[in-house]
Amino acid sequence: MSILLAIPVLSIATILQSAVISRMPLLHGTADIILLTIIAWAVQEDVETGWQWGLIGGFLADFTSGLPFGVYTISYLLTTGLAIALRKRIWKLIVLGQLFATVVGTLLTHAASLLAVFIQGTNLPLREVLETITLPSIFLNLLFTIPVYILIQEIALRLHPEEIAI
Amino acid sequence: MKRRFPSIIRNIVFSLLTIGLLALALGGYIGPLSRLALAPLVAAQTWASKQYQGLEDFITAPRDVTVIRQQNANLEAENAHLQAQIVTLQQQLTEYEILAALLDFARAHPEHQYLGATVIGRDISPFLHYVIINRGSDDGLRRGMPIVTQNGLAGRVSQVTAKSARIQLITDPSVKVNVRIQPSRSEAILTGSITGEVSLEQIPQNAKVNPGNLILTSGLGGNYPPNIIVGQVTSVKSQEYALFQSASVQPVSDFSELEIVLVIINFNPIEIEPLLPVPKTP
Repeated sequence: MSILLAIPVLSIATILQSAVISRMPLLHGTADIILLTIIAWAVQEDVETGWQWGLIGGFLADFTSGLPFGVYTISYLLTTGLAIALRKRIWKLIVLGQLFATVVGTLLTHAASLLAVFIQGTNLPLREVLETITLPSIFLNLLFTIPVYILIQEIALRLHPEEIAI
Repeated sequence: MKRRFPSIIRNIVFSLLTIGLLALALGGYIGPLSRLALAPLVAAQTWASKQYQGLEDFITAPRDVTVIRQQNANLEAENAHLQAQIVTLQQQLTEYEILAALLDFARAHPEHQYLGATVIGRDISPFLHYVIINRGSDDGLRRGMPIVTQNGLAGRVSQVTAKSARIQLITDPSVKVNVRIQPSRSEAILTGSITGEVSLEQIPQNAKVNPGNLILTSGLGGNYPPNIIVGQVTSVKSQEYALFQSASVQPVSDFSELEIVLVIINFNPIEIEPLLPVPKTP
């Protein structure tokens, strides 16, 4: 059920990303709602389908983006792995895990994108990329990550209600 | 006899009084007296009427307030509906203005055939300058078709699906457009950047380039049709020891506000790679 739920949720996130979020840059960086949704799902306590969500989100992003296919899938899967590892270690302060995974996930995604663009033959100045794209993107992702986490937590609680000991 | 006599006299006196009063009233002689007599009557009637009005208002007020509240709610709903209509009409007016400008562009360049398209999204990667339009192969679009706005060149079709296409803008870092600078007619290459700024590279040292010069597509390389306006030179960087000059460009199209574009559908990009000489291996 939660895997099936990934398709509409991540599709909505992809549409929002393309139609709305990408038109609201800070300098030249943008938030990544798909990444935030995947991280928020992976850090939820009773969720076991984090990898599947990472895969579906990566496919949707790769189909939508002009970057070579696989860039987003690989970076989202790596970020999902990090989020799951953090959930097992920081299970009491999972919001911190969400924030940390957001920063690292943004850096991973941007590094993969930069590498893909470089392989295609375009040299981008690293300092300019950091100043105008990556840092503003990290800021925007941190801004959006808590609202996305709360929303995904609601969905996860409805699918996996808490067990009460009697 | 005695009993009848007093009653007859009483009746006669009463009749005489009545006739006398009527005569005086008709003559206008009892006006002040009537005013004096009616004043307390009027005061009492006024007081009674006020008390009745107050009681009537008290009883009927709740019904009136409910009616007024309902009317207020209806008016607010109608106002909100009208406000939404205004926003829609303003949006339609903006689209109409853009379409009128695009039509003017198409009429000014009748050598091409155009297909209008709406921009429905942007690439999710901040490293790429792509937009997505709502026309695809079902509408006759092919990879490589140039895209223009009412001002000039915007980009070209990069990928096509049945119902949509991805457009690579000329501000993309990987774009190179062969251009010609007017009026010197010098050839140069227009390149994009990660920040969206465009610049000219490989301008010959002997070329006279000044701020304000117009930049048009040259048609070299076969990727874009010639003589489409691209932008204007804003500053020139020239060093005596350098091989080439470079310049900054202000594009004519505003890429942050792209809403409707034209696809030039009767232009086929030319593949010149088979014509390029291949170095012979020793």
